[in-house]
Amino acid sequence: MANELEQKLKLVRDVNRITGQEIIQQLFHQVLELHGDRINHDDPALFSGIALFENQPVTILSVDRGTSLTERIEKNGGAVRASGYRKALRSVELAEKFNRPVISFLNMPGADASLESENEGQSLMIAKMIAKMGQLKVPNLAVFIGEGHSGGALAFANSNRIVMFENGLFSVASPEAMSAILRKETVSEVVPMTAGKLQKMGLVDQIIKEDQDVISQVNTAIKTWLDDFNNLSSNELIKQRTEKFAHVLAYWDKMD
Amino acid sequence: MSEMPEQALWSSCKYCGRHVHTEQWGLFLRCPFCGFPKRLTVEQRIEMTFDPDSFQKIDLNIKSKDQLHFKKYADKLTKAQQKTKHDEAITIGTAKIGNHLVAAGIMDNQFMVGTLNTTVGEGIRQIMEAALEQRLPLVLFVTSGGARMQEGIFSLLQMNTILAVQERLLDAGILNINILTDPTMGGASASFAFNSDYVLAEDHAQIGFSGKRVIEQTSGEQLPDEFQSAEYLLEHGQLDDVIQREKLKDVLQQLLDLHTAGDQNG
Ligand SMILES: [Zn+2]
Repeated sequence: MANELEQKLKLVRDVNRITGQEIIQQLFHQVLELHGDRINHDDPALFSGIALFENQPVTILSVDRGTSLTERIEKNGGAVRASGYRKALRSVELAEKFNRPVISFLNMPGADASLESENEGQSLMIAKMIAKMGQLKVPNLAVFIGEGHSGGALAFANSNRIVMFENGLFSVASPEAMSAILRKETVSEVVPMTAGKLQKMGLVDQIIKEDQDVISQVNTAIKTWLDDFNNLSSNELIKQRTEKFAHVLAYWDKMD
Repeated sequence: MSEMPEQALWSSCKYCGRHVHTEQWGLFLRCPFCGFPKRLTVEQRIEMTFDPDSFQKIDLNIKSKDQLHFKKYADKLTKAQQKTKHDEAITIGTAKIGNHLVAAGIMDNQFMVGTLNTTVGEGIRQIMEAALEQRLPLVLFVTSGGARMQEGIFSLLQMNTILAVQERLLDAGILNINILTDPTMGGASASFAFNSDYVLAEDHAQIGFSGKRVIEQTSGEQLPDEFQSAEYLLEHGQLDDVIQREKLKDVLQQLLDLHTAGDQNG
Protein backbone atom coordinates (compact mmCIF):
# COMPACT_ATOMS: atom_id res chain seq x y z
CA MET A 1 0.00 0.00 0.00
CA ALA A 2 1.13 3.51 -0.71
CA ASN A 3 2.57 5.58 2.11
CA GLU A 4 -0.22 8.12 2.10
CA LEU A 5 -2.81 5.44 2.78
CA GLU A 6 -0.70 3.71 5.42
CA GLN A 7 -0.31 7.05 7.17
CA LYS A 8 -4.07 7.61 7.14
CA LEU A 9 -4.78 4.12 8.45
CA LYS A 10 -2.33 4.66 11.29
CA LEU A 11 -3.98 7.95 12.22
CA VAL A 12 -7.59 6.77 12.15
CA ARG A 13 -6.80 3.57 14.04
CA ASP A 14 -4.77 5.27 16.76
CA VAL A 15 -6.16 4.84 20.29
CA ASN A 16 -5.92 8.60 20.77
CA ARG A 17 -8.02 9.39 17.72
CA ILE A 18 -10.95 11.64 18.60
CA THR A 19 -14.13 9.60 19.03
CA GLY A 20 -17.80 10.19 18.44
CA GLN A 21 -18.24 10.04 22.21
CA GLU A 22 -15.93 13.03 22.72
CA ILE A 23 -17.76 15.04 20.08
CA ILE A 24 -21.12 14.09 21.61
CA GLN A 25 -19.97 15.27 25.04
CA GLN A 26 -18.78 18.60 23.70
CA LEU A 27 -21.53 19.50 21.23
CA PHE A 28 -24.73 17.97 22.61
CA HIS A 29 -26.76 18.37 25.80
CA GLN A 30 -29.17 16.16 27.69
CA VAL A 31 -27.61 13.04 26.15
CA LEU A 32 -29.69 9.97 26.91
CA GLU A 33 -28.40 6.59 25.79
CA LEU A 34 -30.93 4.00 24.64
CA HIS A 35 -29.85 0.39 24.85
CA GLY A 36 -30.72 -2.88 23.29
CA ASP A 37 -32.22 -4.58 20.26
CA ARG A 38 -35.41 -5.54 22.17
CA ILE A 39 -34.69 -9.18 21.50
CA ASN A 40 -31.64 -10.46 23.27
CA HIS A 41 -28.62 -8.18 22.96
CA ASP A 42 -27.19 -4.74 23.57
CA ASP A 43 -24.29 -4.39 21.13
CA PRO A 44 -21.61 -2.21 22.79
CA ALA A 45 -20.13 -1.40 19.35
CA LEU A 46 -23.15 0.76 18.54
CA PHE A 47 -24.06 3.74 20.70
CA SER A 48 -27.57 4.99 20.23
CA GLY A 49 -29.19 7.89 22.00
CA ILE A 50 -31.21 11.08 22.01
CA ALA A 51 -29.79 14.52 22.77
CA LEU A 52 -30.24 18.21 22.18
CA PHE A 53 -28.18 20.02 19.57
CA GLU A 54 -28.66 23.65 20.54
CA ASN A 55 -32.39 23.40 21.21
CA GLN A 56 -33.29 20.70 18.75
CA PRO A 57 -33.77 17.05 19.77
CA VAL A 58 -31.71 14.75 17.56
CA THR A 59 -30.95 11.04 17.42
CA ILE A 60 -27.29 10.07 17.61
CA LEU A 61 -25.66 6.86 16.46
CA SER A 62 -21.97 6.39 17.07
CA VAL A 63 -19.45 3.67 16.33
CA ASP A 64 -15.84 3.81 17.46
CA ARG A 65 -13.15 1.21 17.99
CA GLY A 66 -12.68 1.88 21.71
CA THR A 67 -9.98 3.91 23.44
CA SER A 68 -8.42 1.20 25.61
CA LEU A 69 -7.69 -2.48 25.11
CA THR A 70 -10.63 -3.47 27.30
CA GLU A 71 -12.93 -1.12 25.45
CA ARG A 72 -11.65 -2.32 22.10
CA ILE A 73 -12.48 -5.91 23.00
CA GLU A 74 -15.88 -4.93 24.36
CA LYS A 75 -16.68 -2.83 21.30
CA ASN A 76 -15.43 -5.55 18.97
CA GLY A 77 -13.05 -3.01 17.42
CA GLY A 78 -16.06 -1.10 16.10
CA ALA A 79 -17.43 -4.01 14.08
CA VAL A 80 -21.19 -3.73 14.55
CA ARG A 81 -23.05 -6.98 15.14
CA ALA A 82 -26.42 -7.97 13.69
CA SER A 83 -27.98 -6.98 17.01
CA GLY A 84 -26.27 -3.58 16.73
CA TYR A 85 -27.95 -2.92 13.39
CA ARG A 86 -31.24 -4.04 14.93
CA LYS A 87 -30.68 -1.49 17.72
CA ALA A 88 -29.79 1.21 15.18
CA LEU A 89 -32.89 0.44 13.13
CA ARG A 90 -35.10 0.72 16.20
CA SER A 91 -33.46 4.03 17.01
CA VAL A 92 -33.99 5.60 13.56
CA GLU A 93 -37.59 4.38 13.45
CA LEU A 94 -38.19 6.30 16.69
CA ALA A 95 -36.33 9.29 15.27
CA GLU A 96 -38.70 9.29 12.32
CA LYS A 97 -41.78 8.98 14.51
CA PHE A 98 -40.73 11.90 16.71
CA ASN A 99 -39.28 13.97 13.89
CA ARG A 100 -35.68 13.96 15.10
CA PRO A 101 -32.84 14.34 12.58
CA VAL A 102 -30.28 11.50 12.73
CA ILE A 103 -26.50 11.97 13.05
CA SER A 104 -24.03 9.07 12.78
CA PHE A 105 -20.39 9.30 13.89
CA LEU A 106 -18.24 6.60 12.36
CA ASN A 107 -14.85 5.05 12.84
CA MET A 108 -15.28 1.36 12.19
CA PRO A 109 -13.77 -1.41 10.07
CA GLY A 110 -17.15 -2.61 8.81
CA ALA A 111 -19.75 -5.04 10.01
CA ASP A 112 -18.97 -7.86 12.42
CA ALA A 113 -17.93 -11.17 10.86
CA SER A 114 -18.89 -13.92 13.29
CA LEU A 115 -20.98 -17.04 13.71
CA GLU A 116 -23.39 -15.20 15.98
CA SER A 117 -23.98 -12.28 13.60
CA GLU A 118 -24.48 -14.64 10.66
CA ASN A 119 -26.96 -16.70 12.68
CA GLU A 120 -28.82 -13.55 13.65
CA GLY A 121 -29.24 -12.33 10.09
CA GLN A 122 -26.37 -9.88 9.61
CA SER A 123 -27.18 -9.62 5.88
CA LEU A 124 -30.83 -8.77 6.35
CA MET A 125 -30.17 -6.35 9.22
CA ILE A 126 -27.64 -4.38 7.15
CA ALA A 127 -30.03 -4.37 4.18
CA LYS A 128 -32.89 -3.14 6.38
CA MET A 129 -30.75 -0.37 7.85
CA ILE A 130 -29.46 0.81 4.46
CA ALA A 131 -33.00 0.77 3.06
CA LYS A 132 -34.44 2.62 6.06
CA MET A 133 -31.78 5.32 6.02
CA GLY A 134 -32.47 5.93 2.33
CA GLN A 135 -36.23 6.24 2.88
CA LEU A 136 -35.96 8.16 6.16
CA LYS A 137 -38.52 10.96 6.49
CA VAL A 138 -36.18 13.04 8.67
CA PRO A 139 -32.77 14.46 7.68
CA ASN A 140 -29.68 12.30 8.24
CA LEU A 141 -25.98 13.11 8.36
CA ALA A 142 -22.97 10.80 8.46
CA VAL A 143 -19.70 12.05 9.95
CA PHE A 144 -16.70 9.85 9.09
CA ILE A 145 -14.27 10.57 11.91
CA GLY A 146 -12.08 7.73 10.75
CA GLU A 147 -12.70 4.88 8.37
CA GLY A 148 -15.83 2.94 7.47
CA HIS A 149 -16.07 0.14 4.96
CA SER A 150 -18.50 -2.19 3.22
CA GLY A 151 -22.23 -2.41 3.67
CA GLY A 152 -21.64 -2.16 7.39
CA ALA A 153 -20.64 1.51 7.05
CA LEU A 154 -23.03 2.22 4.17
CA ALA A 155 -25.85 1.37 6.59
CA PHE A 156 -25.09 4.73 8.26
CA ALA A 157 -23.66 6.62 5.29
CA ASN A 158 -26.82 6.32 3.17
CA SER A 159 -27.60 9.87 4.25
CA ASN A 160 -28.52 13.32 2.93
CA ARG A 161 -25.06 14.60 3.70
CA ILE A 162 -21.64 13.02 4.32
CA VAL A 163 -18.93 14.89 6.17
CA MET A 164 -15.47 13.36 6.44
CA PHE A 165 -12.36 14.13 8.46
CA GLU A 166 -9.48 14.75 6.07
CA ASN A 167 -7.82 11.42 6.93
CA GLY A 168 -11.09 9.52 6.77
CA LEU A 169 -11.67 6.59 4.45
CA PHE A 170 -14.78 5.01 2.96
CA SER A 171 -14.45 1.98 0.75
CA VAL A 172 -16.17 -1.14 -0.54
CA ALA A 173 -13.85 -3.17 1.72
CA SER A 174 -10.94 -2.41 4.02
CA PRO A 175 -7.77 -1.51 2.10
CA GLU A 176 -6.18 -4.71 3.48
CA ALA A 177 -9.06 -6.87 2.24
CA MET A 178 -8.98 -5.17 -1.15
CA SER A 179 -5.25 -5.69 -1.49
CA ALA A 180 -5.67 -9.36 -0.58
CA ILE A 181 -8.43 -9.89 -3.13
CA LEU A 182 -6.78 -7.91 -5.90
CA ARG A 183 -3.35 -9.26 -5.02
CA LYS A 184 -0.38 -7.07 -5.79
CA GLU A 185 -2.19 -4.21 -7.40
CA THR A 186 -1.77 -0.85 -5.76
CA VAL A 187 -5.28 -0.40 -4.54
CA SER A 188 -4.97 3.01 -2.93
CA GLU A 189 -3.69 4.72 -6.05
CA VAL A 190 -6.50 3.62 -8.32
CA VAL A 191 -9.51 3.17 -6.07
CA PRO A 192 -11.11 6.35 -4.69
CA MET A 193 -11.49 5.96 -0.93
CA THR A 194 -9.90 9.07 0.59
CA ALA A 195 -11.80 12.22 1.58
CA GLY A 196 -10.41 14.31 -1.27
CA LYS A 197 -11.23 11.81 -4.00
CA LEU A 198 -14.66 11.05 -2.60
CA GLN A 199 -15.43 14.77 -2.43
CA LYS A 200 -14.51 15.13 -6.09
CA MET A 201 -17.06 12.40 -6.89
CA GLY A 202 -19.74 14.19 -4.90
CA LEU A 203 -20.00 11.45 -2.30
CA VAL A 204 -18.36 13.43 0.50
CA ASP A 205 -19.93 16.88 0.83
CA GLN A 206 -17.53 18.48 3.26
CA ILE A 207 -14.07 17.80 4.68
CA ILE A 208 -13.08 18.53 8.28
CA LYS A 209 -9.48 19.79 8.39
CA GLU A 210 -7.48 18.04 11.06
CA ASP A 211 -5.02 20.85 11.63
CA GLN A 212 -7.67 23.21 13.01
CA ASP A 213 -10.23 23.04 15.81
CA VAL A 214 -12.16 20.00 14.67
CA ILE A 215 -14.93 20.34 17.25
CA SER A 216 -15.97 23.78 16.03
CA GLN A 217 -15.81 22.60 12.42
CA VAL A 218 -18.11 19.68 13.23
CA ASN A 219 -20.38 22.07 15.12
CA THR A 220 -20.67 24.29 12.07
CA ALA A 221 -21.19 21.28 9.79
CA ILE A 222 -24.11 20.05 11.91
CA LYS A 223 -25.63 23.55 12.06
CA THR A 224 -25.38 23.99 8.30
CA TRP A 225 -26.87 20.55 7.68
CA LEU A 226 -29.83 21.30 9.95
CA ASP A 227 -30.34 24.71 8.32
CA ASP A 228 -30.26 23.11 4.87
CA PHE A 229 -32.52 20.13 5.59
CA ASN A 230 -34.80 20.99 8.55
CA ASN A 231 -37.41 22.55 6.32
CA LEU A 232 -37.49 19.93 3.60
CA SER A 233 -40.50 17.63 3.35
CA SER A 234 -40.04 13.88 3.70
CA ASN A 235 -40.45 13.49 -0.07
CA GLU A 236 -37.82 16.13 -0.71
CA LEU A 237 -35.42 14.43 1.70
CA ILE A 238 -35.85 11.05 -0.02
CA LYS A 239 -35.49 12.68 -3.43
CA GLN A 240 -32.32 14.50 -2.39
CA ARG A 241 -30.71 11.19 -1.32
CA THR A 242 -31.74 9.47 -4.54
CA GLU A 243 -30.30 12.32 -6.60
CA LYS A 244 -27.12 12.54 -4.53
CA PHE A 245 -26.26 8.88 -5.05
CA ALA A 246 -27.37 8.85 -8.70
CA HIS A 247 -25.03 11.80 -9.22
CA VAL A 248 -22.15 9.88 -7.62
CA LEU A 249 -22.83 6.80 -9.76
CA ALA A 250 -22.84 9.00 -12.87
CA TYR A 251 -19.27 9.98 -12.00
CA TRP A 252 -18.20 6.46 -13.02
CA ASP A 253 -18.54 7.48 -16.65
CA LYS A 254 -16.63 10.70 -16.13
CA MET A 255 -13.45 9.08 -14.82
CA ASP A 256 -10.47 8.89 -17.13
CA MET B 1 -29.34 -27.97 -22.21
CA SER B 2 -29.39 -28.72 -25.89
CA GLU B 3 -26.93 -25.87 -26.32
CA MET B 4 -24.16 -27.46 -24.26
CA PRO B 5 -20.94 -27.49 -26.22
CA GLU B 6 -19.56 -30.82 -27.48
CA GLN B 7 -16.40 -30.77 -25.39
CA ALA B 8 -18.39 -30.58 -22.19
CA LEU B 9 -19.46 -34.22 -22.21
CA TRP B 10 -17.61 -34.75 -18.95
CA SER B 11 -17.38 -32.23 -16.17
CA SER B 12 -16.32 -32.54 -12.58
CA CYS B 13 -18.64 -31.98 -9.63
CA LYS B 14 -17.55 -28.92 -7.66
CA TYR B 15 -18.50 -30.60 -4.40
CA CYS B 16 -17.35 -34.22 -4.54
CA GLY B 17 -14.83 -33.80 -7.35
CA ARG B 18 -16.06 -36.85 -9.30
CA HIS B 19 -16.21 -36.71 -13.08
CA VAL B 20 -19.77 -36.80 -14.27
CA HIS B 21 -21.01 -37.43 -17.80
CA THR B 22 -23.59 -35.08 -19.31
CA GLU B 23 -26.18 -37.85 -19.34
CA GLN B 24 -25.50 -38.65 -15.71
CA TRP B 25 -26.08 -35.03 -14.70
CA GLY B 26 -29.64 -35.43 -15.91
CA LEU B 27 -32.19 -32.82 -16.78
CA PHE B 28 -31.70 -30.84 -13.55
CA LEU B 29 -27.92 -31.10 -13.39
CA ARG B 30 -27.68 -32.82 -10.05
CA CYS B 31 -24.60 -34.87 -9.22
CA PRO B 32 -25.52 -38.57 -9.19
CA PHE B 33 -22.80 -39.26 -6.62
CA CYS B 34 -23.22 -36.59 -3.93
CA GLY B 35 -26.57 -35.06 -4.81
CA PHE B 36 -25.32 -31.48 -5.05
CA PRO B 37 -26.88 -29.31 -7.75
CA LYS B 38 -24.47 -28.02 -10.36
CA ARG B 39 -24.13 -24.29 -10.90
CA LEU B 40 -26.20 -23.34 -13.93
CA THR B 41 -25.69 -21.14 -16.92
CA VAL B 42 -28.29 -18.43 -17.51
CA GLU B 43 -29.72 -20.45 -20.41
CA GLN B 44 -30.08 -23.55 -18.27
CA ARG B 45 -31.82 -21.54 -15.56
CA ILE B 46 -34.21 -19.99 -18.04
CA GLU B 47 -35.03 -23.37 -19.58
CA MET B 48 -35.59 -24.97 -16.18
CA THR B 49 -37.77 -22.21 -14.76
CA PHE B 50 -39.86 -20.52 -17.38
CA ASP B 51 -42.45 -21.71 -19.88
CA PRO B 52 -40.79 -22.82 -23.13
CA ASP B 53 -39.74 -19.91 -25.37
CA SER B 54 -41.43 -17.39 -23.10
CA PHE B 55 -38.30 -15.49 -22.04
CA GLN B 56 -38.01 -12.12 -23.76
CA LYS B 57 -34.66 -10.53 -23.10
CA ILE B 58 -34.39 -6.84 -22.24
CA ASP B 59 -31.09 -5.21 -23.23
CA LEU B 60 -29.01 -3.74 -20.42
CA ASN B 61 -28.80 0.06 -20.35
CA ILE B 62 -25.05 0.19 -19.91
CA LYS B 63 -21.87 -1.80 -20.60
CA SER B 64 -19.01 -2.53 -18.22
CA LYS B 65 -15.79 -0.56 -18.47
CA ASP B 66 -12.43 -0.68 -16.72
CA GLN B 67 -12.65 2.89 -15.44
CA LEU B 68 -10.18 2.52 -12.58
CA HIS B 69 -7.58 0.94 -14.89
CA PHE B 70 -6.96 -2.16 -12.89
CA LYS B 71 -4.45 -4.49 -14.37
CA LYS B 72 -6.25 -7.38 -16.00
CA TYR B 73 -9.81 -6.20 -15.26
CA ALA B 74 -10.51 -5.45 -18.92
CA ASP B 75 -9.11 -8.91 -19.80
CA LYS B 76 -11.25 -10.57 -17.17
CA LEU B 77 -14.36 -8.87 -18.53
CA THR B 78 -13.58 -9.98 -22.07
CA LYS B 79 -12.88 -13.55 -20.98
CA ALA B 80 -16.09 -13.72 -18.94
CA GLN B 81 -18.05 -12.35 -21.91
CA GLN B 82 -16.54 -14.95 -24.22
CA LYS B 83 -17.18 -17.77 -21.74
CA THR B 84 -20.78 -16.89 -20.90
CA LYS B 85 -21.81 -15.18 -24.16
CA HIS B 86 -23.32 -12.45 -21.99
CA ASP B 87 -22.30 -8.83 -21.51
CA GLU B 88 -22.41 -8.99 -17.75
CA ALA B 89 -23.34 -11.09 -14.73
CA ILE B 90 -27.04 -10.40 -15.12
CA THR B 91 -29.64 -11.18 -17.75
CA ILE B 92 -33.04 -9.54 -17.51
CA GLY B 93 -36.33 -9.86 -19.32
CA THR B 94 -39.92 -10.94 -19.07
CA ALA B 95 -41.07 -14.55 -18.99
CA LYS B 96 -43.98 -16.79 -18.18
CA ILE B 97 -44.36 -19.26 -15.36
CA GLY B 98 -47.52 -21.28 -15.90
CA ASN B 99 -49.02 -18.37 -17.79
CA HIS B 100 -48.12 -15.76 -15.16
CA LEU B 101 -46.16 -13.02 -16.89
CA VAL B 102 -43.25 -11.99 -14.69
CA ALA B 103 -40.28 -9.65 -14.78
CA ALA B 104 -37.20 -11.81 -14.39
CA GLY B 105 -33.57 -11.29 -13.48
CA ILE B 106 -31.00 -14.06 -13.59
CA MET B 107 -27.59 -13.38 -12.10
CA ASP B 108 -24.71 -15.41 -13.45
CA ASN B 109 -22.08 -16.94 -11.15
CA GLN B 110 -20.02 -18.00 -14.17
CA PHE B 111 -19.42 -14.32 -14.96
CA MET B 112 -16.81 -13.21 -12.39
CA VAL B 113 -18.80 -15.07 -9.70
CA GLY B 114 -21.77 -12.81 -10.27
CA THR B 115 -20.05 -9.95 -8.50
CA LEU B 116 -22.03 -6.75 -8.13
CA ASN B 117 -20.69 -3.84 -10.17
CA THR B 118 -22.02 -0.75 -11.94
CA THR B 119 -23.60 -2.65 -14.83
CA VAL B 120 -25.06 -5.49 -12.75
CA GLY B 121 -26.50 -2.95 -10.33
CA GLU B 122 -28.01 -0.94 -13.15
CA GLY B 123 -29.46 -4.16 -14.63
CA ILE B 124 -31.15 -5.01 -11.34
CA ARG B 125 -32.56 -1.49 -11.03
CA GLN B 126 -33.68 -1.69 -14.66
CA ILE B 127 -35.70 -4.89 -14.15
CA MET B 128 -37.15 -3.52 -10.90
CA GLU B 129 -38.23 -0.35 -12.71
CA ALA B 130 -39.73 -2.49 -15.49
CA ALA B 131 -41.65 -4.57 -12.93
CA LEU B 132 -42.91 -1.34 -11.35
CA GLU B 133 -43.91 0.25 -14.63
CA GLN B 134 -45.67 -2.84 -16.01
CA ARG B 135 -46.88 -3.94 -12.56
CA LEU B 136 -45.41 -7.40 -13.01
CA PRO B 137 -44.24 -9.71 -10.22
CA LEU B 138 -40.45 -9.76 -10.02
CA VAL B 139 -38.66 -13.10 -9.87
CA LEU B 140 -34.97 -12.64 -9.22
CA PHE B 141 -32.40 -15.44 -9.23
CA VAL B 142 -29.62 -14.16 -7.04
CA THR B 143 -26.04 -15.35 -7.10
CA SER B 144 -23.06 -13.22 -6.25
CA GLY B 145 -19.71 -13.46 -4.60
CA GLY B 146 -20.32 -9.92 -3.29
CA ALA B 147 -19.24 -6.50 -4.49
CA ARG B 148 -16.79 -6.38 -7.40
CA MET B 149 -13.58 -4.93 -5.96
CA GLN B 150 -12.34 -3.64 -9.33
CA GLU B 151 -15.03 -0.95 -9.29
CA GLY B 152 -14.38 0.09 -5.69
CA ILE B 153 -16.89 2.38 -4.01
CA PHE B 154 -19.03 2.36 -7.17
CA SER B 155 -19.77 -1.32 -6.51
CA LEU B 156 -20.63 -0.58 -2.87
CA LEU B 157 -23.08 2.14 -3.86
CA GLN B 158 -25.07 -0.36 -5.92
CA MET B 159 -26.39 -1.68 -2.62
CA ASN B 160 -28.21 1.47 -1.48
CA THR B 161 -29.27 2.54 -4.97
CA ILE B 162 -30.81 -0.90 -5.71
CA LEU B 163 -32.49 -0.90 -2.31
CA ALA B 164 -34.01 2.52 -3.02
CA VAL B 165 -35.74 1.14 -6.13
CA GLN B 166 -36.67 -2.11 -4.39
CA GLU B 167 -38.33 -0.18 -1.56
CA ARG B 168 -40.46 1.70 -4.12
CA LEU B 169 -41.32 -1.60 -5.78
CA LEU B 170 -42.37 -3.22 -2.51
CA ASP B 171 -44.30 -0.11 -1.41
CA ALA B 172 -46.19 -0.18 -4.71
CA GLY B 173 -47.55 -3.60 -3.78
CA ILE B 174 -45.58 -5.47 -6.42
CA LEU B 175 -44.72 -9.06 -5.56
CA ASN B 176 -40.99 -9.77 -5.34
CA ILE B 177 -39.74 -13.34 -5.02
CA ASN B 178 -35.99 -13.89 -4.72
CA ILE B 179 -34.37 -17.28 -5.15
CA LEU B 180 -30.92 -17.35 -3.60
CA THR B 181 -28.57 -19.68 -5.42
CA ASP B 182 -24.97 -20.73 -4.94
CA PRO B 183 -23.24 -18.49 -3.83
CA THR B 184 -25.10 -15.46 -2.43
CA MET B 185 -22.67 -13.43 -0.35
CA GLY B 186 -21.59 -9.99 0.84
CA GLY B 187 -22.93 -6.96 -0.98
CA ALA B 188 -25.74 -8.88 -2.69
CA SER B 189 -26.71 -10.75 0.44
CA ALA B 190 -26.71 -7.57 2.55
CA SER B 191 -28.88 -5.61 0.14
CA PHE B 192 -31.61 -6.74 -2.26
CA ALA B 193 -31.26 -10.53 -1.76
CA PHE B 194 -32.99 -10.79 1.60
CA ASN B 195 -35.16 -7.68 1.20
CA SER B 196 -37.81 -9.25 -1.05
CA ASP B 197 -41.29 -10.36 0.02
CA TYR B 198 -40.31 -14.01 -0.20
CA VAL B 199 -36.84 -15.44 0.07
CA LEU B 200 -36.37 -18.96 -1.24
CA ALA B 201 -33.07 -20.73 -1.69
CA GLU B 202 -31.86 -23.58 -3.79
CA ASP B 203 -30.68 -26.60 -1.80
CA HIS B 204 -27.00 -26.67 -0.80
CA ALA B 205 -26.45 -23.03 -1.84
CA GLN B 206 -23.86 -21.11 0.16
CA ILE B 207 -25.46 -17.97 1.58
CA GLY B 208 -23.99 -15.47 4.01
CA PHE B 209 -22.58 -12.03 4.66
CA SER B 210 -18.91 -12.69 5.42
CA GLY B 211 -16.96 -15.55 3.89
CA LYS B 212 -16.16 -18.53 6.11
CA ARG B 213 -12.42 -17.87 5.93
CA VAL B 214 -12.88 -14.24 6.99
CA ILE B 215 -15.01 -15.28 9.95
CA GLU B 216 -12.49 -17.90 11.02
CA GLN B 217 -9.66 -15.39 10.76
CA THR B 218 -11.35 -12.49 12.53
CA SER B 219 -13.26 -14.35 15.22
CA GLY B 220 -11.14 -17.48 15.56
CA GLU B 221 -14.34 -19.47 15.77
CA GLN B 222 -14.87 -23.06 14.75
CA LEU B 223 -17.63 -23.11 12.20
CA PRO B 224 -20.02 -26.02 11.77
CA ASP B 225 -19.63 -27.91 8.48
CA GLU B 226 -23.11 -27.01 7.31
CA PHE B 227 -22.60 -23.31 8.24
CA GLN B 228 -24.00 -20.88 5.62
CA SER B 229 -25.72 -23.64 3.67
CA ALA B 230 -29.30 -22.99 2.60
CA GLU B 231 -30.42 -25.79 4.94
CA TYR B 232 -28.56 -24.18 7.87
CA LEU B 233 -30.17 -20.80 7.15
CA LEU B 234 -33.61 -22.40 7.01
CA GLU B 235 -32.99 -23.95 10.42
CA HIS B 236 -32.02 -20.48 11.71
CA GLY B 237 -35.24 -18.93 10.46
CA GLN B 238 -33.76 -16.85 7.66
CA LEU B 239 -35.50 -18.32 4.63
CA ASP B 240 -39.10 -18.99 3.71
CA ASP B 241 -38.03 -22.34 2.33
CA VAL B 242 -35.33 -24.34 0.61
CA ILE B 243 -36.55 -25.66 -2.71
CA GLN B 244 -34.91 -28.26 -4.89
CA ARG B 245 -34.66 -27.06 -8.47
CA GLU B 246 -36.70 -30.06 -9.62
CA LYS B 247 -39.69 -28.53 -7.78
CA LEU B 248 -38.90 -24.84 -8.16
CA LYS B 249 -41.10 -24.09 -11.14
CA ASP B 250 -44.11 -25.65 -9.43
CA VAL B 251 -43.46 -23.75 -6.20
CA LEU B 252 -43.09 -20.44 -8.05
CA GLN B 253 -46.30 -21.12 -9.93
CA GLN B 254 -48.10 -21.96 -6.70
CA LEU B 255 -46.83 -18.77 -5.06
CA LEU B 256 -47.89 -16.68 -8.07
CA ASP B 257 -51.29 -18.45 -8.11
CA LEU B 258 -51.77 -17.68 -4.43
CA HIS B 259 -51.17 -13.99 -5.08
CA THR B 260 -53.68 -13.77 -7.88
CA ALA B 261 -56.37 -16.14 -6.56
CA GLY B 262 -58.34 -13.28 -5.00
CA ASP B 263 -58.31 -11.28 -8.23
CA GLN B 264 -60.91 -13.49 -9.88
CA ASN B 265 -63.18 -13.15 -6.86
CA GLY B 266 -62.86 -9.40 -6.64
ZN1 LIG C 1 -20.84 -34.53 -6.62
